[in-house]
Amino acid sequence: MPVQYLITLATLAALSGLLAISLNLVLGYGGLLSVAHPMFYGIGAYTSAILAMHAGVPLPVAAVAAALVCALASAPLAVCSLRVSGDYFVIVSMGFQLGVLQIINNIDLTGATGGLSNIPALFDGPSRGALSLGILLLAVAAVMVLIQSIIHGPFGRALTAMRNDEDALAMLGRDPMRMKMSIFALSSAIAGFAGALYAHIFQYLSPTQFGLETSTALLTMVVVGGTATIWGPLLGALVITVVPQAIQFLQLPVSVSAPLQGIIFSLLVLLFLFLRPQGLMGGSRGGGGLDAWSGRRLIAARPGMNPAA
Amino acid sequence: MIWNPAILAQLAWTGLSNASFTCLFAISLALVLKVNRVWNFAQAGMMVVSYGCMLAIARPLGLPTALGFGLIATIGFSLALERYGFRPLRRRGSSSLTFFIFTLVVSQFCTYVAELIFGTEPTTLIDDVVTPISMIGDVAVSGWDLRAVGVTTALALMLAGFLRLTRWGQRLIAVADSPDLAELYGTSRDTAYAVGMTLAAILTTIGMLLLGTKAATVPASALQEFLVQALLATILAGVGNIFAAAVAAVVVGVGQSFAVLFMASKWTPLLVYALMAVAIVLFPAGVNVRAVLRIPSLAWARR
Repeated sequence: MPVQYLITLATLAALSGLLAISLNLVLGYGGLLSVAHPMFYGIGAYTSAILAMHAGVPLPVAAVAAALVCALASAPLAVCSLRVSGDYFVIVSMGFQLGVLQIINNIDLTGATGGLSNIPALFDGPSRGALSLGILLLAVAAVMVLIQSIIHGPFGRALTAMRNDEDALAMLGRDPMRMKMSIFALSSAIAGFAGALYAHIFQYLSPTQFGLETSTALLTMVVVGGTATIWGPLLGALVITVVPQAIQFLQLPVSVSAPLQGIIFSLLVLLFLFLRPQGLMGGSRGGGGLDAWSGRRLIAARPGMNPAA
Repeated sequence: MIWNPAILAQLAWTGLSNASFTCLFAISLALVLKVNRVWNFAQAGMMVVSYGCMLAIARPLGLPTALGFGLIATIGFSLALERYGFRPLRRRGSSSLTFFIFTLVVSQFCTYVAELIFGTEPTTLIDDVVTPISMIGDVAVSGWDLRAVGVTTALALMLAGFLRLTRWGQRLIAVADSPDLAELYGTSRDTAYAVGMTLAAILTTIGMLLLGTKAATVPASALQEFLVQALLATILAGVGNIFAAAVAAVVVGVGQSFAVLFMASKWTPLLVYALMAVAIVLFPAGVNVRAVLRIPSLAWARR
């Protein structure tokens, strides 16, 4: 098995890990169902690539700028989450994602449907793959430490409280609006930074990489690994990136291997939803997973809507 | 030039006829939302199943056989969805997150399977989608337009009759209003949920038949385009308003048709997404048209 292939696989897994960890912050700990997360990955990737290609901005600066742009771009979604929750928020986020995708698909700056190519590389030379992987692993480690310190600190406890009962938290003097804006901004910034790294490692961007398929893949990673767990999304990203690679060894044409990978993704999620909703890392007694928060409150907030009925 | 009455009338008619299948999808989505109490994102999967089955059968055996086969397959699929998907999740007291992930993933699964079997090239159900055109005044009306509007209207009326006049229709409404109370009076909620899914499957299949005899489509469009339009109509109508969703679908369809007067057609989908986000944030309970209309009329009366 060529080393380069393994490095590419590890790079993809690390990028997915970054994304899954950041999504888990909003979804698992914040209890906010957003499918638009890949869009921040995309916005970050395009922002960094465009800054580097057209304005000659140094790559580290472009990547940080991309993260900031994503943090700002998350504001409209965060504001919407103050007004609607549950399925309604999912639909808003879907509209946001498809809308931004429509814009990217139709403007010249982003290369429209053809995408962007020849994006400046993060590293040059024969060891560029290994160096890029090293940077990515450092980023994953830094984000893990950051998330762990947030979740185990006072803000993390308040976040869990907000997920379980927003009104009660507000009555205790906490500001749910500020908390939602903060976790959306942080999570989107991480996704944007991951997107910037992706753009400069793989040097090619296409709008199809940030669609609903990516949302499903990301949800799969978080669900399979275990929502509201620290290590679960990372493990899920690893499993979901590596397992479908088995298909690559069958030497099938792309028109067959791509849908087959999707079928494997979907079947994995369905299996986990029914057989192990707590995911690989979730405990059996409320230690994370889809049952970490019941969501009944969100549903009860909508008259006549209770799927549990 | 663009304000020429003939052009406006043509746009209105085209918007109305093109909204026919969206109208059926919206009714289907709103019905499941009302009766089964699930935002059924898996409806895109139902669309893919019905279209795929009809596509496999239409050319060798003809459209009527394909429709029959599509109906059987989609009804079977939707019943399996309810029995082996929604019911266990309901009994487990799963969160709306779980329902959402399940329905979305089912749709994606169906899309991937269809892409594996049929590929990603746009397809139609019949070789020649061109139908005879006649002029009514200055408006060009195709045979497909008349069929689509007629079938959609007939199905909506039949569903209204079923819900209002038949015992099972009333049972569906009873379960939609209060499943526990309905069961107390002897109506099985599981059977009602199954009937709801069956009706949704029928509407979805016929909607896909109309679509497939008009334009070429790809499996991914079900989730990214048609379901989104149905969602928008359902949101505008408000939860539980099945026929208002149909009206909203028509309004959105005609609106999209007129939008080409102001913007390039490539931007009209953006209008739908933006409208959906705005509608759900500003009117999460739907747009109350009566209230909106009553306010100016009362003000006028007081003056």
